[in-house]
Amino acid sequence: MSGLLQQLFNGLVSGSFYALLALGLSVIFGMLGVVNFAHGAFYMLGAFGAFVLLDSAGLSWWLALLVVPILLGVIGMVLERLFVHRLMHLFPLYNFLLTFGIALILQDLIRMKYGVTSQPYARPSILDGSVDLGLFTYPKYQVFVFVFSIALSGLVWLVLSRTRVGMIVRASTERAELTQSLGIDVRRWVTPVFGFGIALAGLAGVLAAPMRAVNSSMGADLIIVIFAVVVIGGLGSVLGSVAAGYIVGMVTAIGNFYVPALSQSLVFVLMALVLLLRPAGLFGREEGVHA
Amino acid sequence: MATKLTTAGALTATIAMGAVIAGCAGAGGPQSDSGAITDDAIKLGVITDLSGVYSELAGPNAVEAVTMAVEDFKAEHGEDVVTQNIEVTDADHQNKPEIANTTAREMYDRDGVDAIFDVPTSSAALAVANVAKQNQKMYFNIGAATTELTGEQCNAYTYHYAYNTYMLAHGTGKTVTEQGAENWYIIYPDYAFGQDMNKSFTAAIKDAGGSVVKADPTPFPNDNFSTFMTKAPTLSPKPDVMGTMQAGGDLVNVVKQYNEFGLRDKGVELAVGLMFDTDIASIGVDKLEGTLYTTPWFWNLDDQSREWADRFKDRTGTRPTFDHAANYSAAMQYLQAIQRAGSDDADTVREELDGHTFDDFFARNAEFRAADHAVTHDAHLARVKEESDVEEDFDFTELVETIPADEAYMDAADSGCEMG
Amino acid sequence: MLNVDNVTARYGEAQVLQGVSLDVDTGEVVTLVGRNGAGKTTLLRCLMGLHRSMTGDIRFDGTSIATLSPHKRCRAGLGYVPDDRGIYASLSVEENLTLPPVVGPDAWSLEKVYETFPVLAERRRQAGTHLSGGEQQMLAMARVLRMGARILLADEPTEGLAPLLVRQIGEIIRTVKEHGVTVLLIEQNVHFASTVADRHYLIAQGRVVESLDNAEVEQREHELLEYLGI
Ligand SMILES: Nc1ncnc2c1ncn2[C@@H]1O[C@H](COP(=O)(O)OP(=O)(O)OP(=O)(O)O)[C@@H](O)[C@H]1O
Ligand SMILES: [Mg+2]
Repeated sequence: MSGLLQQLFNGLVSGSFYALLALGLSVIFGMLGVVNFAHGAFYMLGAFGAFVLLDSAGLSWWLALLVVPILLGVIGMVLERLFVHRLMHLFPLYNFLLTFGIALILQDLIRMKYGVTSQPYARPSILDGSVDLGLFTYPKYQVFVFVFSIALSGLVWLVLSRTRVGMIVRASTERAELTQSLGIDVRRWVTPVFGFGIALAGLAGVLAAPMRAVNSSMGADLIIVIFAVVVIGGLGSVLGSVAAGYIVGMVTAIGNFYVPALSQSLVFVLMALVLLLRPAGLFGREEGVHA
Repeated sequence: MATKLTTAGALTATIAMGAVIAGCAGAGGPQSDSGAITDDAIKLGVITDLSGVYSELAGPNAVEAVTMAVEDFKAEHGEDVVTQNIEVTDADHQNKPEIANTTAREMYDRDGVDAIFDVPTSSAALAVANVAKQNQKMYFNIGAATTELTGEQCNAYTYHYAYNTYMLAHGTGKTVTEQGAENWYIIYPDYAFGQDMNKSFTAAIKDAGGSVVKADPTPFPNDNFSTFMTKAPTLSPKPDVMGTMQAGGDLVNVVKQYNEFGLRDKGVELAVGLMFDTDIASIGVDKLEGTLYTTPWFWNLDDQSREWADRFKDRTGTRPTFDHAANYSAAMQYLQAIQRAGSDDADTVREELDGHTFDDFFARNAEFRAADHAVTHDAHLARVKEESDVEEDFDFTELVETIPADEAYMDAADSGCEMG
Repeated sequence: MLNVDNVTARYGEAQVLQGVSLDVDTGEVVTLVGRNGAGKTTLLRCLMGLHRSMTGDIRFDGTSIATLSPHKRCRAGLGYVPDDRGIYASLSVEENLTLPPVVGPDAWSLEKVYETFPVLAERRRQAGTHLSGGEQQMLAMARVLRMGARILLADEPTEGLAPLLVRQIGEIIRTVKEHGVTVLLIEQNVHFASTVADRHYLIAQGRVVESLDNAEVEQREHELLEYLGI
């Protein structure tokens, strides 16, 4: 029994990464209608950001946790202003070409500079060791990752559900054009929202650096699963993407435990099932159903 | 309009056909030249991973190693060298068997390459072996680990030079078991290399009187091994050691998470199937201190290895992996055989090589084993140094013991190779 | 107050509006009648700045708004109720009401909205789309009042509603008018139109073909109904 619980907890930890990445991807999609294929690359940049700051400036992981997302958020906003906003009225193929292109460029730049092997990164010593969770002990660092991501998702959720800014984002995400015609300059919100989504991806990367291999392909390997997560949660549904992140994490952990060989396909089986039973995703709204 | 397009298409096709035919005729021409060295040139082709996951273990520096061998060879023989025209070409196979297959064909047929080197990734390695057999041209595999190359899929033109899964398993699996870690939990990436490693390790562990409690395939690539880390201590009987067959980034993930979950404190040691200095650098020496693994060679092994490694570093700015050293060694052995035989004809060269014994900085007590074309030599059981003992970058490894060639390789009789 | 001058609009190759001109004066309730596919919705979208390929001029209070972006037109005093009512599922009833900024001095307070439409007060915490169709229509119009818009542009508010609810919508439109808000209403139901509006434009094949008053509509009701295919 505690074995199973522990597996579920494993799932929650890996789900933390899925949730943070899917959350950003989801807000960006909702607000801009753009599927950001470069999301994984920014996750990778987040991890590299932490590495570079430590390596060249001696900046601690804690500072990186603050600085890297802000830096990447700004880069994201610049990219949005320069390129991404042009996609909003174009055929979706351009969306793919641009963001996928950005991903490849970022990945290759990192590879040119740092090669294909992983960079070393040690976890902050205060998070060494394990904590007793009652039924089992668990690595302190990973508990931190989970708590941090839950808290952050909760905070984002609070902002989205309780504040005027959140209301505007929700409205724009659901129906950008209508929101525009109700007196809200949606375009003004698009850039910061894109930057915010990118910052979240970068943050996930910083969180990953101490426990995962830091290399140029770490994001590319992850992004496919994240897309599945977003689809499972319901495209554009913020709460859905977070919930689906943790669910997919747990499903994969259980899969790894009982049928390791199949665990990778399990995510996509789940996705197919959800699409079959609830085409709009677990938390998505089906067009017209409530109208 | 449609008809015009078709006409244009047909025209293009015709021109292309013409070019191909002309090309074939051209290529055929010089080959009819009589003489010991065809085209009056020896061409060495390196097919490797130039930009992907193995590009630092093998990659451009493998090409550099072969080039270095050519230069050293020419310098050694001076005026008497069999030909001054020795060329090295390279190509990227992206670790894909289809690409390796077409590239090898092009090299042999179109570019007149006499021997192909390296070819990491087992599936790609086997594809090239097949092409070598059909074209009756020489092939020295360095970068791949599969025993199939000298087993059921062996052929007269293919030599497997550096290492294989049997060597890794019998070095690490057997030794660690004999040291008292009898119960193993193996995790392996779910593709050819991983499955092969799992088989070899399981066999080696059983031979040594141990047992494999469980062997789990893991997704590839994978960044999350927590399930396996939490599972390990709960297995019954509790494993003494976790054997990881992951490579590259996955291996880094495994070791980081092994440490996160404090498995050593829970009495589960770590054994690594295949490891390179680059992996140790990625993970951090401190996290791997004391870890045992098997390697055919490491640069800090002894004086002659260090001497070569220094020359390599002067050229490339980095320390060589065993793949680089083996590429150099294989190219050198190949050229020396041509020098001795006075011909680069593939059948002449392989006859010259078969049964040849030698020693160089890479291969000790080495033999081009005629029966299965394994190039057998000593292997080394190594240990990751204590962090405080590390004197420079990539000085990570110390020798525990040398595994004699006849133990490092399976008996030719057991290999399943029928050379025909 | 609102002057539409020779407006054309196209979807790709298809020209949907061929040059529409019409005027709405302050305090009037004017309906736009026309067959399915005549271009009524497209015209309203043009007025709101939501339709990109458009020519011609639109003046509001004498100044041209034809090049303003939608949110600026809203802030100028145009209150839009789209044909699907434009209620957000991810916003509560109250959030649906308070989303748009206050754009005019006569904006209703929330209290006043809730006093006038008690149903909305009862369900203020529920998701907007949990309301019934009639209630959603009420919410959409209340939203325009709460903004303090000076003209209400409503796209077929009675479509798909039961007769009882249609009457209720009529009540709301009269309330809106009493509060001095001008109304431009798209309507297929000519009978209903004649009970709430002062004047009517008949739109066909992308043009305004006739301007009618209530008396004319009553007289020609049968002919119009036939024309509209009802
Ligand atoms: N997105 C679109 N793409 C192409 N054509 C369109 C589009 N929307 C509407 N049309 C066409 O433009 C014409 C006018 O449509 P519009 O919706 O403005 O008519 P309407 O008068 O509002 O009709 P209804 O009474 O059905 O609401 C129709 O022929 C319609 O088929
Ligand atoms: Mg319409």
